[in-house]
Amino acid sequence: MQSWIPILVYLAIASSVGFLMLGASRVLRVRAKDVPPTRELTYESGEEPVGNAWIRFHPRYYVVALVFILFDVETAFLVPWALNVRALGRFAIVEMIVFVVILLLGWVYALRKGALKWQ
Amino acid sequence: MIIPHFTLNDFLPVMPVGVLMAAAIVLMLSEVFLTSTTRTYQAIIAALASIVAGGIAVNNAFEPARLVLQGYAVLDPFSSWTTAMVCLGTFLAVLLSAGFLKHRNAERGEFYALMLFAAAGMSLLSLSAEFITLFINLEVLSVATYALTAFLRRGPRPSEAGFKYFILGAFAAALLLYGAALIYGATGATKLVEVSAALPAAFAKSPALVYAGLGLVLAGFAFKVAAVPFHMWTPDVYEGAPTPVTALMSAGVKAAAFVAMVRTFLFLVKGIDPVIPFTVFSLLALLTMVGGNLLALPQRNVKRMLAYSSIAHAGYMLLGVAALFAPKLVEAGAKVGVLTATPLTGTAQDVSVAVYKGLLFYILGYTVTSLGAFGTISALERREDETRGNTWDLERFAGLAQRKPGWAAAMALFMLSLGGVPPTVGFLGKLFLFSAAVDAGLLGLAIVGVLSSVIGVYFYLRVVVYMFMRPAPIDAPAPFRHWTTELALVTSAVLVVGLGILPGTITEWFSRVGMVFGH
Amino acid sequence: MNAEQVLFWLFSVCTLVAASGVIFARNPVASAMSLVATFFFLSGIYVLLWAHTIAALQVLVYAGAIMVLFLFVIMLLSLTDSGPVLHFTPSRIAGGVAVIALFVSLTAVFRKLPTAELTWVGDAAKLKNFGTIQHLGEVMYTQWLFPFEAVSLLLLVAILGAVVVAKPRI
Repeated sequence: MQSWIPILVYLAIASSVGFLMLGASRVLRVRAKDVPPTRELTYESGEEPVGNAWIRFHPRYYVVALVFILFDVETAFLVPWALNVRALGRFAIVEMIVFVVILLLGWVYALRKGALKWQ
Repeated sequence: MIIPHFTLNDFLPVMPVGVLMAAAIVLMLSEVFLTSTTRTYQAIIAALASIVAGGIAVNNAFEPARLVLQGYAVLDPFSSWTTAMVCLGTFLAVLLSAGFLKHRNAERGEFYALMLFAAAGMSLLSLSAEFITLFINLEVLSVATYALTAFLRRGPRPSEAGFKYFILGAFAAALLLYGAALIYGATGATKLVEVSAALPAAFAKSPALVYAGLGLVLAGFAFKVAAVPFHMWTPDVYEGAPTPVTALMSAGVKAAAFVAMVRTFLFLVKGIDPVIPFTVFSLLALLTMVGGNLLALPQRNVKRMLAYSSIAHAGYMLLGVAALFAPKLVEAGAKVGVLTATPLTGTAQDVSVAVYKGLLFYILGYTVTSLGAFGTISALERREDETRGNTWDLERFAGLAQRKPGWAAAMALFMLSLGGVPPTVGFLGKLFLFSAAVDAGLLGLAIVGVLSSVIGVYFYLRVVVYMFMRPAPIDAPAPFRHWTTELALVTSAVLVVGLGILPGTITEWFSRVGMVFGH
Repeated sequence: MNAEQVLFWLFSVCTLVAASGVIFARNPVASAMSLVATFFFLSGIYVLLWAHTIAALQVLVYAGAIMVLFLFVIMLLSLTDSGPVLHFTPSRIAGGVAVIALFVSLTAVFRKLPTAELTWVGDAAKLKNFGTIQHLGEVMYTQWLFPFEAVSLLLLVAILGAVVVAKPRI
């Protein structure tokens, strides 16, 4: 448990920095009595905003995200392996090769299929 | 650190899985590396792979039962026969898909690859002897079937079916996992053998925890086999999925889930009052048999009717499971211990062997019959009708006997087999199962089973009546012709009659002592 | 009350608050953000349970990757600020009753657990390696081979399934 104390302190400082900055700006800022119409406009030569910032995304992002997660999970298995491969030797290498090759076939499929292509 | 050692012997039970996987990967990659316009070779590769895998599984079925792969898997006739039946089901489903997909211009290597992956998952599920392995293998099977369900994307039905199946399947898997976690909390083990050894002590210490775990595991399995209070998803999913996939789900997924359930609970009942699992399974069997048949009664949609009928058939299989846990058998088994490979003695052994024979033969019979029935439906479907609701209406079958006597005869045969009319495999399966259940002391439940199957005969015969006694409508569809579909239907029909008349050596193979590891 | 108990209460109360935020927020993006917070506090509880690896994976995979997927799904749907209004139909009431019954019975189960044997957490020798990534790997790659290789099959099927289902044309 002791080894986690620095992390706790770090988390506490990190989150308090965020609150402190927001709070400080709230306290220190100058408040306008009424909002001038120019304040809501785009600055100088920026584009005029059209519509909502929340638009429907194209589903193709979704395939990329799905494939990303699957390989993310694969990576999660590689880390504990990497810490033990020296001790376990050839056995662990063979076992990980089987694991990775099976997944590589899936990757080859997804790649050739154009699932990761941005069109 | 001890580096584990494996012999070739360890890999025997997963050899069929290896074959299925290899073929699935070849099919998957063929889709991106070969750009041929004719794709019949894909169906042939998939069919050959399932035959080879099935052959290896049959060969495995004569090995003595034992634990392999560090205790994560079993090699026993029960799982090997299940694998063989799954491979048979996959073989027929692949043949059905070839014509089905060609007609819809949707023939893709991915479809067959997913079917083979699903079959690999089913085989792995039937041999898992540890909870995490069981869960992963269940997910392999489930993910493949979710994708297959939503494979065709015309109209809202497949998406709805895929979505429903995914949500409820994920929910069921989560229940199973949570139950396994609670059992792990109570016993400190996930391997079924170790769980079984630790259960009596855990049960004495905190019975509530064990009960909660068992209940959640049971609920998870009950979802997968579509037992009655957990059956709501079945009709929608079975109706919305492409018909060959429905056939595979009703035969293979159900068989694998049943076998996994039986295996898990054989280990999990140790130390518990034997009346409890017996009562629970009997109740599930009762509700599922009666409920499935009653719900199928008003259906005019034949595909939906078959979905409810598959629930009813799950009920009959549950009757067999309940018979395995009959107090008479458990008492006899408790003396020699669940863990020893020593067979039971005397009449208890005969009854136990008869129950396993009945269960396996019933699963085999249902596999060939339901593949035939769904296969005939898939041949009569019209792609144009997919968006309309009446694709599978009884009217579509009217007058089929005059237009296509062969097809009508095959469908009539499958309907009779589902209804349990001799001389079909459906009759023989019910005979074996019900008589074994009576021997195990489940007379009342067996009578309910017979009565509810009499209800079933009504709606199965209604299809036959429509085919043979109603005039054909003017725009009646002709079944599309494809040699693979016809081969699949002929094979199923031959098996339905052949196994019904001459079960012969198969029943001997199914009734060997030492069918299940640890029992 | 020692420091671990204080942290446990802090993390569990925050988990519950954030989890209720997932349900009660009308804005789906706010729901998703509450879910991120839930995952973070849960990983704190995992640390208290000495499951360091799970805690790290919880943040990396769940709070990171899976949340991105959740946000994509939200953005794929048409966005309205108001969620569906709750209607009480008989099946929903039955479902609610079932959920409450399950919750009550599981609570009863946990309250009945014998606590006497849970003191091994204080055993420093057992905890020296427990839950570390190295120890996890050591066990996983020598004793859990079959499930580990089965995971690769599962991920392969998932890749294929994801491409088949989510790609506009295959």
